Amino acid sequence: MRRGNSRSPSGFDSRTDDRAALAEHSPLRGADPRTKLALSLCASLAVMLPLERLAVFMALYALLLLWARLLLEAARQVWRLKWVLILLFILDWVLVGLDLATIVTLRIVLLAGAFALFVRTTTPGEFRLALEWLRVPHRYAFSVSLAFQSVDLLNDEWRAIREAQRARGAWSFEWRGWRHLVSQVRELVALTVPAIVLTTKRAWALTEAAYSRGFDSPHRRPYRKLRLRRLDLVLLTAALVIGILLITWRGIWGLVA
Amino acid sequence: MSSIVRAHDVAYAYLQHGYGLPTVSLDVAAGEAVLIAGPSGSGKSTLARCLSGLIPHLYRGELSGDVWLDDLPTSTTPLWRLAERAGLVFQNPSAQMLTVTAEEEIVFGLENLGLSPSVVEERLEAALRRFALVRFRQRSPQTLSGGEQQKLALAAITARQPPVLILDEPLSMLDSTASMDLVAHLADLARSGTAVIVCEHRAQYLRTIPELRTVQLNGSTPTPLAPPADIAGSSSAAPHASPFTLTVSGLSVTLGGRPVLRDLSFSAQSGHVLAIVGRNGVGKTTLLRALTGLETHRGQITVDGERPDLGMVFQNPDLQLFNATVREEILYRLEDPNLERYAWLTAVLGLSRYDQTPPLLLSEGEKKRLALAVTLMRAPRHGVLLDEPALGQDARHKEILMRLAHTLANTGQLVVLTTHDLSLAAQADRLLILGQDGFVADGPPHDVLQHDAPWAEVGLRVPPWVVSA
Repeated sequence: MRRGNSRSPSGFDSRTDDRAALAEHSPLRGADPRTKLALSLCASLAVMLPLERLAVFMALYALLLLWARLLLEAARQVWRLKWVLILLFILDWVLVGLDLATIVTLRIVLLAGAFALFVRTTTPGEFRLALEWLRVPHRYAFSVSLAFQSVDLLNDEWRAIREAQRARGAWSFEWRGWRHLVSQVRELVALTVPAIVLTTKRAWALTEAAYSRGFDSPHRRPYRKLRLRRLDLVLLTAALVIGILLITWRGIWGLVA
Repeated sequence: MSSIVRAHDVAYAYLQHGYGLPTVSLDVAAGEAVLIAGPSGSGKSTLARCLSGLIPHLYRGELSGDVWLDDLPTSTTPLWRLAERAGLVFQNPSAQMLTVTAEEEIVFGLENLGLSPSVVEERLEAALRRFALVRFRQRSPQTLSGGEQQKLALAAITARQPPVLILDEPLSMLDSTASMDLVAHLADLARSGTAVIVCEHRAQYLRTIPELRTVQLNGSTPTPLAPPADIAGSSSAAPHASPFTLTVSGLSVTLGGRPVLRDLSFSAQSGHVLAIVGRNGVGKTTLLRALTGLETHRGQITVDGERPDLGMVFQNPDLQLFNATVREEILYRLEDPNLERYAWLTAVLGLSRYDQTPPLLLSEGEKKRLALAVTLMRAPRHGVLLDEPALGQDARHKEILMRLAHTLANTGQLVVLTTHDLSLAAQADRLLILGQDGFVADGPPHDVLQHDAPWAEVGLRVPPWVVSA
């Protein structure tokens, strides 16, 4: 059985293991969030490269992830999509051809793994600073970072609801066949109503807490400022060089000849 | 002496249901400590929001009367300006945490004051030291215990140095040790000149603050308690069960790689009310979950050789309520319900007049009682497990609750409850103290409360008024 840990509304129990934790050991923890955002965005733009350059880019990106000790994390993200990937690969192969099947699959793999680099090494606070640097108003940047950090809590709440409803017999995960489809969908109300109530309450509590600490103040002055370090300059330069090479490249055979 | 908080004939009605706070006037001077007391529904939380300015800025109900904070009228002054003068600490410690580290939590409010980074740093360090939070600096607030979270919330507010501090039931989720700790900080703040206003049911903890002034709010007429004859219930509404023994042996639960319960063994006779106490996070909830079969565990849990049939009432009633009326909620999915039992339960739990009311409109206390009715209506064969049933309940509701618990026990059922309210635990038939390595005390509450050693072992302080009662 999977278990949540926020059964107590006050979250007294310690966190469980199966959640997204920060990769504290990664050397990228020390990098500027803007650098990491740029790297992840580059990776997602790289899906537009033709097949052989895409393969080269992915190899380089994998090396970066390996250095950052995030390769396993990224692989795990991709692994979750394994059925979709296999299905798509077969469909594309059968309907169009091997080339297309390969490139589509590689693109999805890259997209799925690209943001592991950012997500696993950036705190919501750093994310907020990066957004504010991008001229997103504090109000919105803060809300986005709040949402970013609330995913785990919502996940726990959802589990707690399922369990509590199962305990009172109001919901059971039992497929009783198509003939009961309507009643089974209706049963979902037992989950969705509490989920909406809890989420609304939490959002309201956070709103009140934020306002009672001056959230709407026009005089806000940030305590921390983002600063590019040497690591960031190295990473950004490397990304730039590789980007230029990949865009101007005429293919391995062209170089050899 | 001029007052820093002045509230004249303030009344408020919420948009949704039309009641909130009956007319009240209040003046509070700097350095004064004021307790706002009153039963559930008397408007304590509403008053806290009126005094801090959240009402009318964030709420659209009907406010009458005037509130001045430091001579600023709350209705026309922007909220951030009011927040500089009055800080508000809320009931639920985890729901007011806005960031992912204790440090950021404190910095958030300081940044909004427009302070220079060097002043922010100075105040941050001072706040971490004052509330003994230095070692949690980089920890996520969600991994702290309830008591630590509440101290962090207090640190985040007081670092902003507001002349007025308002607390909305800050103790309701804390154990006795954490409560006493927090109250000591409040006394300290009042001594150093802050006006401290606390809305709280658990008034006894606050009476340790010197020169505490109490303002009593009287709510609307409360639901009358059902007479004892009605509580007993007829034999068909509350049928007698045959005696049994619940046996737990070698129970172990591991959560996320961390052992929570280790090799726990005990047995319980039917017809008793058991109270389990212990520090926040020691595994009380986990134990109840294991008893109902919700938690995977090692070890045996049996009732005379078979699986027990125990109902569980969760801490948070919002997890379960979803129907359109109280009646539908209680009778949901019951074929051929025992309507006599229904009438009995709603009468005893003070829910009769809400038959056709949507559960979402009930007060928190009423929702908790409704969740209890939902579980009891299913008539679990061996009894019920109540997880923190007293949380946020006032004295009257606790009395109703304990009377019902003993009534159920008298019909031959087993009632197990967890609580950090030791006065409630003292009314059980049997009191168990759960520590890191299992139970450290077990016996009639009167005896268990007499011994200091087990309490000291688990780090719980017994308030003097519990022992003397």
